Amino acid sequence: METIAVYWEKPIKTYGFQTVMDLALVEFSYPLKEIASLGKILSQDALQKVKTEFIVVQEVGETISLTLCLSEKECRDFRVSVAEGPGSAPCEYTYPVGIIYFHGPHFGDRYGIADATFSTLSEGGIEIVASGCSASSVFVVLAQDDVARAENVLTHTFEVAK
Amino acid sequence: MRPYPLHGTETMEKLKVGGLRQSLELCQFDLRGPEPSEGILANVSRILASEKSNIAFLTYRATKDKRCQLSFCLNQDQCSRASKILNQGLHLPPVWEMKSREHVGMITVFPHHSALVILGVVLVSWGAESIPVYGIATSLSAISFITDYQIMDKAVEAVQDSLQLPGNRAPTKPELHYYQSEFKKRDKA
Repeated sequence: METIAVYWEKPIKTYGFQTVMDLALVEFSYPLKEIASLGKILSQDALQKVKTEFIVVQEVGETISLTLCLSEKECRDFRVSVAEGPGSAPCEYTYPVGIIYFHGPHFGDRYGIADATFSTLSEGGIEIVASGCSASSVFVVLAQDDVARAENVLTHTFEVAK
Repeated sequence: MRPYPLHGTETMEKLKVGGLRQSLELCQFDLRGPEPSEGILANVSRILASEKSNIAFLTYRATKDKRCQLSFCLNQDQCSRASKILNQGLHLPPVWEMKSREHVGMITVFPHHSALVILGVVLVSWGAESIPVYGIATSLSAISFITDYQIMDKAVEAVQDSLQLPGNRAPTKPELHYYQSEFKKRDKA
């Protein structure tokens, strides 16, 4: 079944911007054929309480690269756990980074949301470190010093619903 | 206590989640190359928006070794058109590569209280069944996994030994395909 929907606002409405600061961006690669081992590492008791606002995984040839944001303390626990795994590449860290994220009505079903986000940030001269968009959410990882400026320019593109 | 089976015969409590959702059939594009990417994210999203293509899933990272990778998924029926317009409109430097993979699907687990634990559980389950992982991204309260469309049922079945849905509710499958129309509502006057 197909449904034609009409949903367009100018400016695009969002439920508001959230930011998280003082995070470390952790990146590491793992052999694709060993993902079950990686799963066991991530499922360890030591990592059960680790909270992360942001995870993206990409396939890079014969490996998968995992990128996530953690607090400084959790970053240390994570580093120890991952180092024990077979075949894992050393973690790389970027600190400090911040996340700005937002969601809005039917974001997952509409075109133009990514364009509005990334064009605005690009025009503002803001360099994106990482991003993940799925369901109705947009997550953007930036150098911490850029987060406030990003929120400012995005506020001019999107309208925060009241 | 581990709340889910990790090592074969161990019998353990399943990890409770709110639900599992399968997507419609998607196609995936991967663009990678050295920085500076000169606004690759903005350019790709602008081109796709001009074609009214909804991006169902997107991941991007720029690494310390000055490389970046953009991966995104569109509806399968937009694959050929998107490939054509991206090739025509992007003008990627020769060192950049663009690959596409057709017939993928997205499985979303929601809500997640610990994305890392769910990620671990799914990777263990899928690794044991040789189910491929082409991309993963977290959202506000969910975590989405990209795999082959034709084995989505098998992929869901594989994680159901470790994840408990409320009231043994079945995973949801899409029944509607939304398109956004160009037509705008006329004023009554």
